[in-house]
Amino acid sequence: MIAGNSRQPHDMGGLEAGPIDTVDHGMAFWERQTNALRGVVVRSGLATLDELRRANEDLGDRYHELTYWEKAAVGLRTVLVERGVVDDAEVEARMTEILARCTAAQETAVGDRGPE
Amino acid sequence: MSGTAIDAPDHDHDHDHEVDEHAPQTLGDGAAPPSEFELTSRALQELLQEQGLLTADQVRRYMEALEDEYPQRGSQVVARAWVDPEFKRLLLEDGKAACAVMGIPVGSRLIAVENTPDEHNVIVCTLCSCYPRDLLGTPPTWYKSDNYRSRVVHEPRAVLQEFGTVIPDDVTVRVHDSNADMRYVVVPMRPAGTDGWSEEQLAAILSRDTLVGVALPSA
Amino acid sequence: MMTAPAAVGSPPGGPSSFTPAPAARFSVGDRVRVRVTHPPGHRRTPSYIRGKVGEIERICGEFPNPEELAYGFDGEPRRTLYRVRFMQADVWAHYAGSAHDMLEVELYQHWLEPAADLI
Repeated sequence: MIAGNSRQPHDMGGLEAGPIDTVDHGMAFWERQTNALRGVVVRSGLATLDELRRANEDLGDRYHELTYWEKAAVGLRTVLVERGVVDDAEVEARMTEILARCTAAQETAVGDRGPE
Repeated sequence: MSGTAIDAPDHDHDHDHEVDEHAPQTLGDGAAPPSEFELTSRALQELLQEQGLLTADQVRRYMEALEDEYPQRGSQVVARAWVDPEFKRLLLEDGKAACAVMGIPVGSRLIAVENTPDEHNVIVCTLCSCYPRDLLGTPPTWYKSDNYRSRVVHEPRAVLQEFGTVIPDDVTVRVHDSNADMRYVVVPMRPAGTDGWSEEQLAAILSRDTLVGVALPSA
Repeated sequence: MMTAPAAVGSPPGGPSSFTPAPAARFSVGDRVRVRVTHPPGHRRTPSYIRGKVGEIERICGEFPNPEELAYGFDGEPRRTLYRVRFMQADVWAHYAGSAHDMLEVELYQHWLEPAADLI
């Protein structure tokens, strides 16, 4: 009835699936930050929720590989780059820079503690 | 405050390395380096801040609203409907207008659906995670899960049973796929034994799960 | 290079001076069938409901077309959105619940056709 190859990965209503894990597992800090960032981006008119949904739907197999908030982060990047709000190479460079910053901060923190 | 690369999220991270007080909020941070997705999100926020398109303060305030303020609203609105028939009539007719009466701004059109002795309502978004965030905050893990989204439209009674909610056969189960521009909230039946309760007491038994329709309030 | 796009500040899906929204084609209580088509792209009509027959439960109003918004367009002309009520037994071949159980879905007018001829 439904052509299998035409159903996108997000379009899952009616499929067979396993039991529901009824526990709310909460969110990590970066997930909370991503959630709020997405909300502010949409409220500021920098992107529409529709564009962000579409970016997620276009992930293909990755749709099921990534967690909800991983998809949210990737979707934000896709749409903000598409719209020319940010440049993809610049995002990549900034990610490298932040990673270096975190590593340095960790080393400092470990150094501060000293021998115990 | 703006213009610097390091802002609120980094501030929190710095502290996480030393003190544990934020530990429950920072799972995955600390020892492990940030994932590519966390880095993506933080890089985007910094770049948007530097262009003056948003501020760290806006993001932080929205985060706080989603976590502290919005989740209280749904139960307050329904508790009011339980004690005030005229308000309930307005809520069922025009949810957004009713919320406005309580000083609660709701961005989308809101459809309040009432449980009765003959009908039980439950909400899902099969396509993504549409949810009445203005009234309930960020959806719980299960609401966004593939299993809930896949199953509740075609076997709602089995899904409700997994939440411990058994709906008798003679009660109609009405599933709402929140798949486009409307948002939904369930108005549960007020349980026996709550006569004379204040709105605050009533709001306390209206958990998020009762307002999505996977659970029933009890006194 | 890092200039803000022109869209910033004007809400997406804001008023347009172009084509007015089409008038509502269906009324509450009308029997409608969801179109069976599988076009690529962003669609808010779940696959499971395509081809099913239900009844207009309410007219929600006119909204920017999400199929256009999803690609950065303004969503004009707006589309009339309905809530359509389906009997679960009409949607799923082996529905296990009560015969009275219902499923309600939001559907845009261009996804609906009259079902009167079909019954």
